[in-house]
Amino acid sequence: MRRTFGNATLVGLLLVLGLAPVALAQTGEGATEDEVVLRVGTILDLANDNPWGVVAGYDWGVATTQYDMLLQFSNEDLSPSPGLAEGCEPNKDHTRWTCTLREGLKWSDGTPLTSEDVAFTFRFVIDNSMSAYRSYFPFNPTFETPDDRTLIWKSEQPTFAPDIPPWVYIVPKSVWKEYDGADKKEIKSVPNTPSVASGPFTLTEWERGQGWTMERNPYYWGEQPVVDRIEYRVFDNQEAMVQALRNGEIDFADGLQASVFGTLEGADNIATQRVVSDWWLNLAFNFGGQSKDADPHPALHDRTVREAIAMAIDKQEIVDKVYLGLANPGDTIIREASTYWHLDIPQDEEYPYDPAAANALLDEAGYEDTDGDGVREDPESGRPFELLMPASDETVGAVEAGQLIVGYLKEIGMDVELQAASDGKMNDYWGSGDFDMYIWYWSGDPDPNYQLWVFTSGQCGSWSDGCWSDPDYDALYEQTTTIFDRGERRDVVFEAQQYVYDALPGVVLAYPSWLEAYRTDRFTDWTPAPGEDGYLLPTYNYNSLLTVRPVAGASEAASPGLPAWIWIAGVAVIGVVVWRVATRGRREQDLEA
Amino acid sequence: MPEPEQDLVVPPSARAVVWARRRRTAAAHWTTFRRNRQGIVGLVVLSVFGLIAIFAPLLVDETQLEPATASAPPLHPPSLQYPLGTDNFGRPVLGLIVMGSRISLMVGLTATFGAIVIGAFVGITAGYFGGRWIDSVLSAITNWVLVLPWVVLAIVLSSVLGRSVLNIVVVIAITSWASTARVVRSQVLSVRERAYVERSRALGAGHWHLVSRHILPNVMPIVFANAVLTVALVILAETTLSILGLGDPQAVSWGVIIEESFSAGALTAGWWWWLIPPGVAIVFVTLSFTMVGYALDEVLNPRLRRR
Amino acid sequence: MGRGYLVRKLLHALATLFFVVAFNFVLFRVMPGDPIELLTRSEKLTPDDVAELQAEYGLDQPLPAQFVNYLGDVLSVDMGVSLRTGLPVSTLISERVWPTFLLVGIGTVLATVFGVLIGIKGGWNRGSRFDTRSLYGSLLFYSIPEGWLGMLLLIVFAGTLGWFPAGGFDTGEETGFAAVIDIANHLFLPVLTLTLGYIGEYAIIMRSSLLDTVNEDYITTARAKGVPEHLVRRRHAVPNAFLPTFTLIFLSFGYVLGGAIVIEVVFSWPGLGQLTYDAINQLDYPVIQAIFLLTSALVIAFNLAADLTYGFLDPRVRHA
Repeated sequence: MRRTFGNATLVGLLLVLGLAPVALAQTGEGATEDEVVLRVGTILDLANDNPWGVVAGYDWGVATTQYDMLLQFSNEDLSPSPGLAEGCEPNKDHTRWTCTLREGLKWSDGTPLTSEDVAFTFRFVIDNSMSAYRSYFPFNPTFETPDDRTLIWKSEQPTFAPDIPPWVYIVPKSVWKEYDGADKKEIKSVPNTPSVASGPFTLTEWERGQGWTMERNPYYWGEQPVVDRIEYRVFDNQEAMVQALRNGEIDFADGLQASVFGTLEGADNIATQRVVSDWWLNLAFNFGGQSKDADPHPALHDRTVREAIAMAIDKQEIVDKVYLGLANPGDTIIREASTYWHLDIPQDEEYPYDPAAANALLDEAGYEDTDGDGVREDPESGRPFELLMPASDETVGAVEAGQLIVGYLKEIGMDVELQAASDGKMNDYWGSGDFDMYIWYWSGDPDPNYQLWVFTSGQCGSWSDGCWSDPDYDALYEQTTTIFDRGERRDVVFEAQQYVYDALPGVVLAYPSWLEAYRTDRFTDWTPAPGEDGYLLPTYNYNSLLTVRPVAGASEAASPGLPAWIWIAGVAVIGVVVWRVATRGRREQDLEA
Repeated sequence: MPEPEQDLVVPPSARAVVWARRRRTAAAHWTTFRRNRQGIVGLVVLSVFGLIAIFAPLLVDETQLEPATASAPPLHPPSLQYPLGTDNFGRPVLGLIVMGSRISLMVGLTATFGAIVIGAFVGITAGYFGGRWIDSVLSAITNWVLVLPWVVLAIVLSSVLGRSVLNIVVVIAITSWASTARVVRSQVLSVRERAYVERSRALGAGHWHLVSRHILPNVMPIVFANAVLTVALVILAETTLSILGLGDPQAVSWGVIIEESFSAGALTAGWWWWLIPPGVAIVFVTLSFTMVGYALDEVLNPRLRRR
Repeated sequence: MGRGYLVRKLLHALATLFFVVAFNFVLFRVMPGDPIELLTRSEKLTPDDVAELQAEYGLDQPLPAQFVNYLGDVLSVDMGVSLRTGLPVSTLISERVWPTFLLVGIGTVLATVFGVLIGIKGGWNRGSRFDTRSLYGSLLFYSIPEGWLGMLLLIVFAGTLGWFPAGGFDTGEETGFAAVIDIANHLFLPVLTLTLGYIGEYAIIMRSSLLDTVNEDYITTARAKGVPEHLVRRRHAVPNAFLPTFTLIFLSFGYVLGGAIVIEVVFSWPGLGQLTYDAINQLDYPVIQAIFLLTSALVIAFNLAADLTYGFLDPRVRHA
């Protein structure tokens, strides 16, 4: 029996060695020779492939790549530019807008794209309360389609809504009409891979946890991109992604960490892009009122206390130590990427970093440390300044900034307890109001309307961080929604930002940059948006994918790993060892004889 | 015939006899233990770390370990001034490791204590009433806990209760007591059969007397050896949970240092001085506890002693 | 194996499974963090919508009724729908099973095989150089935290030397045999980490078990009868020592799964461990519940298998 086993192993070994040449011959790339493939590395997977269920960062990126909007965001400053429509013209009192679609628009399945699809999409949003897009349709507009290329937007009140432009993806009526009126959960879980869309690429494959593929749409209305296929690969850790970029497995690495960004600057054949920030790190104060669990420290209602806290925080140090310098210190609530609308407060008018002055402020206001334990108390309620501060551990830098803030506030006599929490738990805190202040983020839209809106009184219990309520601010916000002249509106938007800066419902800590890197020896001619410091990958529009092209004589992807012959040799060696162990019994028996 | 001389020495009390016997046994144990080289090495290393942990505040300037007040240049490689370099906040890594020993050892010891107390209690009760319904229920519960995926349970509890040192200790204690209970129970079962226990029971001794006078002394050595081995497992468990991001950023244990360096990008950026030393410290301490534990096992477990 | 033994062990396993199911239910119903609240946070639902959702998830019924529903779901293997992505949980899990199976399967087999071999060689030649060295080595590897070991291997082999990729399952572009090699290259470091993490423990267990056996009477008898050493080892000592080792290895499976989670996270390995980790961060209860149940059931099954094999192989138990 033993003899047979030993022989069997021998035969097996010979088979393996014999097959090796055949196997080696098959080693090679799966792509066909003349396909142009762009390989992108990301740190997040898609959560949902369906434009109604967009949740996470790349859901938006994919939707923006494959679907068109009525009007696009321009490359320079995200102002409205022709999209599916060549333009939208208002009548004199801005209650009726006429949009003219381009000629010959088609869906990726070859069927024509008409104004009826646009009208259907807009009505779908309104009728089914698709909350991600609903706010783009104020005053319950109705839509008419006198012909295939004309869309009429009728509003009961004067509006500039079509000119914002509405960030709404136009979807084919033929695909989605059967879900009109269905349960929202059902709508959001409709699988959309492969998709029918109108943009330059469509989503053709999605392997959860690993990545997704987009392929060129031959029916795209504009100039055909040079790239045939885009492969997105998900990496859970930065090391793998950077290594893949370095050895050429991917051409583009998106969403890099500050620490690795520095090591890539100046590396061979790699260029880095520090993208102007479109989000901000937020320290929000809680004013209470969300639920019966909401019992924030009453002194937070006193603006002096909030001002002292603002002056105790060293924003520059947060930028340096948490973001390694790849951020800007924060001031106002409109993101930097909305360059037209963002108000930059001059250095000498900002709250200085001055813990001594902060201490003086608190002393003068009567918040003394009466029992000598290093923590001030509120004279009215007797409550010591022991504050609970949750920080989202899914927001880059939030927990680290929190650690620094704990130290800063200790200097002014406040004992802060930092609670690192997942976004799920942050939701709990937010909803119940069971915190004193928290560190999270805001992102907003290119248009400032949404960001300003979330600070209004009516948003308590909905989007508001801590239920700050100020009727003067509410009035300012209302004003911004009624002005049609862009320049005039901007003046009021600036006023609103200044108001919020002065009133301190929170502190804008930093504007962290988004970090991208790519191989210069693979692809070139990227189109950043907005502006030179913009995103190279589709975020606000897909135009970069239209201009990018491969560099002549690009090098091949070299995936690290042992070549096939080493594996075969290794298996052979193990086989030999096993054979010897298996036949040892026989050999020993022979020796005994 | 002359009477033999009466002994004038007062007979020692029962208690004194017991204690004298215990002292002799302990001395014999120590002699055996001393012969085990691994055990001695382990004990020495543990003593060193123990001293470091106790005297940590004297060895390290605590203001340098606060993110807001750390003044050294951040991410500095090892140098004369900072032998293990600094982290992203500018805190010296050597200082972090010294202070971290307090947290890591404290979590290790308290979680183990909790696990052992629960495990011993369950094990003794189950073994003492062996065969009866209490035993069946407790054994079923023990087996059931053994079967639960501890990491999943730990992550769930941590994410719900929040990330704090206390919660980590509680979570680990709850998921670790079962193997101790098992070991204790089988030991109690075998002790229970011994002659003197039978005799005591025949003489009408109550449960409490039996447990405290006969069972406990015979079980404690096993529990002790088991406890030392458990500390090693607990420290590894705390490291795993910290690496998964459940550690308390305010209580920087060695596992938390590893997690912070990893998520800050130490691997690719090459900040090896931040990532490697905490792991080395963990290995030293865990290895030492294990070696001492196995040596104790040999000493206290008569079956093993024969070899 | 006696029928009584078999039946007892089977009942035992089922009882434990029931406990786990009940615990699963209680844990997720009683935990704070209302799943409906989470859904509504980004939805701005009206109270009517909320009531509708609650009815849909069966959350408006009294607790015992919910438990019965839950049992029904479990028995019909209906694992529900993921809260975050809206996809059926069974889809998510079935996609991730293969990578975890590869990692844990290969790693455990390697750790067992080599651990046992080392333990035998060391235990048989107790006190020899091999024994001392392998014992120290085993203790050393036993004491290394798996997550950190993975990072260490990443630094050395993927970072500095560049011999292996730093994470992921494959590059997604190869076909045929090249694809197998590609996966093998990505699998190498995670499997190495898992193997090194548990090989020490298994070696020590096997060694102890063998040392116990060696002192038994039947070994002395065999030697007295003049049986050559290698046969004593192979025919008498090892098989008898193997039994308790086998059982202990099966019992440690739960810990191996735990180690697999952290290894998957460090190496971005798209398996069940990574799925668990993400689901918990997103409070995706149906997914967490399903995985909890699945892993517990697996461990119970393994324990049962260990008990049954033990019963089959150990003559003392066979006739119980």
